[in-house]
Amino acid sequence: MKPTKEAIILGRLAYGHNAADLERLGRAGLKRWLDEQLAPPSGDDPETARRLAEATFKIEYPEEAGKWPKVDEERPLATLDADLKSVWHLRDWQKPMPYQERVRPRDEVNAATWIRALYSKYQLREVMVGFWHDHFHVNALHDDVAIAVAWPHYDRIMRKHALGNFRAFLEEVAKSPAMLVYLNNRSSKASPANENYARELFELHTLGKDAYLNDLYNRWRDVPGAAKGEPVGYIDQDVYEAARAFTGWTLADGSWSGEGPLPSTGEFLYHAAWHDPYQKRVLGREFEANAPPMADGVRVLDLVADHPATAKHLATKLVRKLVADDPPPGLVNRAAEAWAKHRRAPDQIARVVRVIAESKEFAETWGKKTKRPFEYFVSFLRATGAEVKPDPGMIWLTFVMGERMFGWPTPDGPPDRGAAWLGTNAMLGRWNGAFWLASKDHPAARHNWVAATPEAATTIGAAAEHWCNVLLPGTEKDSLLASLREAISQWAPPETPLDRSQGADAIAGVAALVALAPEFNLK
Amino acid sequence: MLDLSRREFISGCSAAIAALSGSRLLHLSWNTDSTATPILVVVFLRGGMDGLHLLGPVDDPDYVAARPATLRVGESGEFAGLPIGNGYAGRDFRLHKAAAPIRELFDARQLAFVHAAGLVHGTRSHFEAMDYVERGVVGGTGRTAASGWMTRLAETVPGIGSMGLVSASDRAPDSMLGAANAMAMANPEAFSVPVGPQVAKYLRSVYRGSSEVHRAGTRTLDAIEAIHKELKTPEGAWKPYFPERGAAYPDGELGQSLRTVARLIRADLGLRLAAVDYGGWDTHEGQTYTFAPRVEHLSRSLAAFANDLHAYQDRLCVVVMSEFGRRVRANQSQGTDHGHGNAMMVMGGGVAGGRILGDWPGLATEQLDQRADLAITTDYRAVLSEVASAHLGVNDVSKVFPGFKAKPVGLMDRSKP
Repeated sequence: MKPTKEAIILGRLAYGHNAADLERLGRAGLKRWLDEQLAPPSGDDPETARRLAEATFKIEYPEEAGKWPKVDEERPLATLDADLKSVWHLRDWQKPMPYQERVRPRDEVNAATWIRALYSKYQLREVMVGFWHDHFHVNALHDDVAIAVAWPHYDRIMRKHALGNFRAFLEEVAKSPAMLVYLNNRSSKASPANENYARELFELHTLGKDAYLNDLYNRWRDVPGAAKGEPVGYIDQDVYEAARAFTGWTLADGSWSGEGPLPSTGEFLYHAAWHDPYQKRVLGREFEANAPPMADGVRVLDLVADHPATAKHLATKLVRKLVADDPPPGLVNRAAEAWAKHRRAPDQIARVVRVIAESKEFAETWGKKTKRPFEYFVSFLRATGAEVKPDPGMIWLTFVMGERMFGWPTPDGPPDRGAAWLGTNAMLGRWNGAFWLASKDHPAARHNWVAATPEAATTIGAAAEHWCNVLLPGTEKDSLLASLREAISQWAPPETPLDRSQGADAIAGVAALVALAPEFNLK
Repeated sequence: MLDLSRREFISGCSAAIAALSGSRLLHLSWNTDSTATPILVVVFLRGGMDGLHLLGPVDDPDYVAARPATLRVGESGEFAGLPIGNGYAGRDFRLHKAAAPIRELFDARQLAFVHAAGLVHGTRSHFEAMDYVERGVVGGTGRTAASGWMTRLAETVPGIGSMGLVSASDRAPDSMLGAANAMAMANPEAFSVPVGPQVAKYLRSVYRGSSEVHRAGTRTLDAIEAIHKELKTPEGAWKPYFPERGAAYPDGELGQSLRTVARLIRADLGLRLAAVDYGGWDTHEGQTYTFAPRVEHLSRSLAAFANDLHAYQDRLCVVVMSEFGRRVRANQSQGTDHGHGNAMMVMGGGVAGGRILGDWPGLATEQLDQRADLAITTDYRAVLSEVASAHLGVNDVSKVFPGFKAKPVGLMDRSKP
C-alpha cells in the first residue's frame, strides 16, 4: 500500500512531510495548497526569517603569526542579503585573510539551505530552488573563490526566479558573476572567443543534448528547418557563433583590459572593446554587424529560450524531478505545451509546475524516485520534529555520500536519477547518517524523543509502531514492523515497558531503524 | 571545502554508533583466488585533458604557431619539455615539464602512449562524449545503452567475484553502469554499519527484495562484510596500510584513490577491475597555471602506485584516458576549448612501454579534424580491446564492444623495437 495522498504530495513537492504540513495540506486540498505554494511572497515566511536571523554557523581556523589570530566561534549568517560590492573584497588576494573567511558567504548559504528546507512554509519554492541550482549548476567549491564570495548573490537569483519566467531567469544567470567565472565568459574576447559558456548554454541550460546534432550535420544550413530560421537542433557552428555574440559580457573583476584595469566591484560589465562586432548567424538567424551593446547576446538568449527543444528539455527535467526517473511521455508533452504557451508570462514556471502537480500521473505515481542524501536527511528531521542548527558535520555528511551540495565537479549538475544515489557509499551514508542525526551525541539536531512519543505507547514495541506511523504514514508496514520487532528483540523483548525517564536512546534507535528501511528512501 | 577532515566526520559517526552498541565483524564465506589473476585499473581524466600540452611535437612549426609558449610543450626556455627521444613521427615529442615521474616510467619501458586516440564521433560535448566512451559505444542510440563497458568486461572476465568491480570514488562511474556488483568505495575504513551486527541483521531482513533500492542495500551489506573480513584484525581494528618501496602517494584526489585501490589489491579481496576519476581538466581559461599542477599530481600518483604494487606489476595494467583532447589553437582566455583526438597512456609490467603508438596525423590545418582539432587515428576502443584480450585474457572482445573491429595497436607486443 502506498503512503497517504498527503504524504506522497509532500514527499515530492516538499522536503517530506511533518505534522503541521500534513494538517495544512489535508485541510486545504491540493489545489488551494498549490495556490499558496506557487505564489509565495518574495521573502522568507516570518518563522523561517526568525530562524535565519538567529542562526549561527561555526567558523574555525588557526592563528597565522603576524596576520590573524586563531578563530573558533559560532557566527551569525551575515552575508545572505549582502550585496556583491560589500563582500567582493573577500576575493582580493592582496589582502591577507584566512581561506575560511573568503568562502564564508558560500558556507552561510549552505547552512541557510538546510534551515529553509527544514522549516520554510513555502516548501515547493525550496524544492524548485534546489532544482534550479542543479539546472544552472555552478561549482561553488571551484578553485576561484570569487564563486564562493558571490554565492549568496547567485542563490538569490535562484530564489527570485524559481517559479517565475525562464527568459528573465536565463539572462540574470548569464550576467551573474558566479556563472561568468565558472564557465569563463568573463574572459571571452575576440578572437577566438572562449566557447565554454555558449556550449553549456545550449546543451545544459536550454535546448539540451538531444538537440545537439553535430554528428549528423557539419554545416548550419544542413540542419532541417535552418533555411527557414527554425532549425530542429544545433551544431558546433551555432556554438561558435553564440560564443562570439557573448564576447565582452564580463565582470568588473579588476582584469587588465589593454587600456588599464577594469573596475573591481564584482558586478556584471559589458566591455565593448572585447566584443566581436561583426555579423553572425545563430540557429539559422542572421545577426547584422555592429549591433548595439549586448544586443547580440540578448538575441541569442531570446532564440534559445524560445526554441521548442528548450520547452521539451525543461519539461522532461521537471517531470523527472517531480514525478518519476523515467518521465511519463504524455505528461512531458503537456508540460512542454504549457511551457511554450506561457513563455511570456511572469509566472511561466509556476504554471508548468501546476500542470505537473495536478496531473493524474503525479497522483498515481509513488516510489519511482529515490530521495537524494540531502532530501533523505531533511525529510527524516522534518518528520521527527527535530530542532536543527546546521553544522559542518551535516554538510560533510552529504558531501562524502557524493552529493556535494553546490560542489558537483562538472557543469551538468548532480544527476536526478535514483541509481546515482544508491551506490554502496551512499547507502552506508544513509544508514550511518540517520543514526548519527537521531543520537543525542549529535549537537546539531536536537530531539526530545520521550516527549514526542505518546504516553499510550507503553512498551518499546509500541514506540516502534508509533515512529513507523510518523515516518511512513499510510504505508503498508506489517512486514517492516515484524522486522523491527525482531531487531529490537536482540536487545530486549518488544514488550519491555518503556521507561520514560531513561528511554530516549532506545526511542532514537527505533526511529532511526525505521528511517533505514527502503520505504523511507523512496518518494 | 569545508574545514572538517574526513577523519573528524568518521569519528563523529563513531561517537553516535558507540552510544548504541559496539561493532563486531560479520561472517561470510569468502573465496579469494590468490593465483596470479590480471587486474585492470582505468583512470579517467574528466573534463578533456589537453594531450597536446602533455606530449607535444616541439619542433613542429604548426604546433608552435597554434599556441603561445605558455600553452604548449617547449623546446627551450621556461616551458621546455622533457625529451623522450624515440623518434615518433620523425618529430621531437616531449613531455610537459611537470611529468618527470611519467618519463621515468616511460624510460623503464613500463608505460606507453597512444597518441591521436579517441572517440570517433562529431561531438565536442563533455557529457555526450563521456556517455559514449563509458558505455563503450559510438553514436546512435548507444548513448542510452543500459550497461557500461567495464560492466560487460566484468561479465566476460573468467572467475570474477562479488568484489571484482570497484570504483574508488563516492559514486561508481557510468563505465560500471548496470553492474549488479559494482562497489563505490572512496575509503574502506568508512565501511561499517551503525551499531553493529544487530542492525546488519535488521538491514538484511528489510532489504530482502528485488527492487533497485533493495538490491542496493544488499550489495552494500555484502561489501561491508567482505571489507571487514580482509581489512580488519580479528580484534576488530583496521589493519594499518603501509605502501611498499616507500611509495609516497601525494595528497589529493587521484593519489588517495589509487592508494585505496592498491590497498584493496594487496588485501586479496578479489579486485579485478577498478575505476578511478580525476577531474579538473576542462582548461578553457588560464591553462598554464591549472594544467601543470594536475600533470604533476597525475605523474606522482602513477609513480607511487607503480612502486607500491611493484610485486604485482605483471598482473597490473593501468589505462589513463579522457573524453576528448583540446582544440589545437588557443583561445583568447589563455586556454583551449573542446577538441577531438588525444593521448592515452597504458602502464604495466606486460606493456611494451617506452613507445608512442598510433599514427600521427599531423597538425597542419588540412590534417586536422574539422580544420580545428587533432584527428583520431586510433579508436579508443582499439586500446581497451587490446588490454581486454592481451592482458585480461578475454576471448571474445565483441561482447564488450559490440560491432567493433579493432585494428592492432601493439600495446603488449614486445617483439617490435
